[in-house]
Amino acid sequence: MTESRTIHAPARGSHIGRVLVIAGHAFTQLVRMKVFYFLAVFAVIAIASNFIDLPQHAGPESMGASVISQIKSWSIGTMTLFSVVISIVATALLLPKDIEDRTLYTILAKPVPRFDYLAGKLAGVLFLVFISLVLMDLLMIGVLHMRVSQVLVQTEVMGKAMEWTPQSIESAKNEVLASGVTWSLQGAVLAVFLRAAIIAAVALLVSTFSTSTLFTTVIGFLVYFIGNFQADAREFYLHSGEAGEGMLARLGALVISLVLPDFQIFNVIDAVIEGQAMTWDAVGKLGFVAGYYVVVFTILSWFIFSDKEF
Amino acid sequence: MKQAWKPVICLAVIAAGGVLRMPYEAGVTAELRKTGLLMPKPPVETSERIGQTFSAVALGGLRTLVATFLNLRAFTSFTEKKWDKVEAAYNTIVELAPRTRYYWEAGWHHMAYNAAADCFTDTSRPLYRRKDEWRTWIHKGRAFLERGIRNNPDDGTLWSDLGFMLTDSNKFVAFRDQQECFSTAADAYRRADETGNALGYVRRARLYALARVKGREGEALALARSLYSEGTRNHTPSLLSILFALQVWENPLANMGDRAVTLFGTPERAYQDLSNYWQRTREKLPMNGVAEAMAELENRLNLPENKRESLKPLPPPSNPDRWFEEK
Repeated sequence: MTESRTIHAPARGSHIGRVLVIAGHAFTQLVRMKVFYFLAVFAVIAIASNFIDLPQHAGPESMGASVISQIKSWSIGTMTLFSVVISIVATALLLPKDIEDRTLYTILAKPVPRFDYLAGKLAGVLFLVFISLVLMDLLMIGVLHMRVSQVLVQTEVMGKAMEWTPQSIESAKNEVLASGVTWSLQGAVLAVFLRAAIIAAVALLVSTFSTSTLFTTVIGFLVYFIGNFQADAREFYLHSGEAGEGMLARLGALVISLVLPDFQIFNVIDAVIEGQAMTWDAVGKLGFVAGYYVVVFTILSWFIFSDKEF
Repeated sequence: MKQAWKPVICLAVIAAGGVLRMPYEAGVTAELRKTGLLMPKPPVETSERIGQTFSAVALGGLRTLVATFLNLRAFTSFTEKKWDKVEAAYNTIVELAPRTRYYWEAGWHHMAYNAAADCFTDTSRPLYRRKDEWRTWIHKGRAFLERGIRNNPDDGTLWSDLGFMLTDSNKFVAFRDQQECFSTAADAYRRADETGNALGYVRRARLYALARVKGREGEALALARSLYSEGTRNHTPSLLSILFALQVWENPLANMGDRAVTLFGTPERAYQDLSNYWQRTREKLPMNGVAEAMAELENRLNLPENKRESLKPLPPPSNPDRWFEEK
């Protein structure tokens, strides 16, 4: 059996330069699909979360606490949903769309290494997700800042009315500030981005051997869904034997643990919303895990895509 | 290489990488759990209670989002006075967001106050059931709050809430051992104070609880003296009255009137504050020497008989059975 090979002219310029050009093109391509329209929806959600104030819980010391927590939960929840959907769908769309538009042939006919092409496409999607998250984050910060300012004023007025000591008022205000815009909250937004980056890399890998956008999308969501169980499967496998689990169950847990990414590790966002401080160490470790997946999946995507015939 | 084999090779590479990353991920997960950045897994029943859709959303790292929606649902149940649903909703909410104080506070308050008060006021139900349910809801509220404290032992507000509940004369009567309530309340206020974020009233509230515990009067007196010596900010009518009663407990032989005037500043203020304190029969505060001091001050102030508070009838002590019958 003979293998057909395309002989390319040597690539010119730097890898990074080519990747950036392709990333810019992919980004423009996605922006033209009017993906930023969802920001209007996000704005409505963020602003609405500021107005759903349940009257029965408004004890003097906890005033505004529920709304602040609500703004964070709704905003970061929406960011998570949008980032995951965009990462999967946008990545799944890119390769088939380039084939359909015949732009892929034009690009690959030029001295562009296929790795640069894939990395550029992935970078374009990640750039889009990043920009979207930054915009959503800014909106959340704005709404949160307004609400926190209101609660701070109310706390001061209440503290004075109840003759609290200046230290007590300061302590109460610090508590309100700690539940508002913090670096930990920004760390949570970063965790949302890192998770989206992994799922985009997974979608890229699937799209290199998939024959349809729908297949890539479905597999992408499945991987995301099962990836949230990965840590449970790993724990089950590592602690199996203690309760006499069956061989098949152990094998299934092992396969899930080895093959799928661990998305549960990024659920630190819940703890941050509840007021837990996120350390730089934790951010670094999450970044390392996400980096590993993105690099490995991109290299494997190139491995499949490198001599694929179109 | 055949294109068909490539996905298989990819899978093998991913699995091989998985062998390397598994211990690292397990370590990071354990570390994040230890530092509180990863929450403990909610029980299996939680998923059953919230349904598949919410369960899937919660699983995707949006537990606090699901908790906010369930809180809205709990609000609807509250407006409809469906207390069992309110209880179920908050039990689920705190499993999803165990570190949000607001949910613990809202939950215990709904149970111990709103649900209990509804049993008290809803005369359409049989008396015995209302009484029984009133008591049950207060007990449930306390249990829920104590669970919140176990989950958040460093939260001073939840400790203060426990102290508040167990010294509330409308609530401690629901418990058989009220001395245990006061003792637990005093310890709860101490724990709240130890967190370093407690408001100024917490230390005084600790004294108000401790003063009611039989057998801990010496401890209460030491605390009262310490608070008194901190300055006029703590010289509230309650604190002065309790300090007076505890001083009499320590030395019952001294002249009551002179001691009261020394403590309160003037006979008029001593009489006014002690008279008000004397009326607080429902709270089970120490009353050592208060009646004697009032009688002596009344003589000293030459008050006519019709203005003598010591001769007026006292409000009856807390008695839930009577409250229900009067309703």
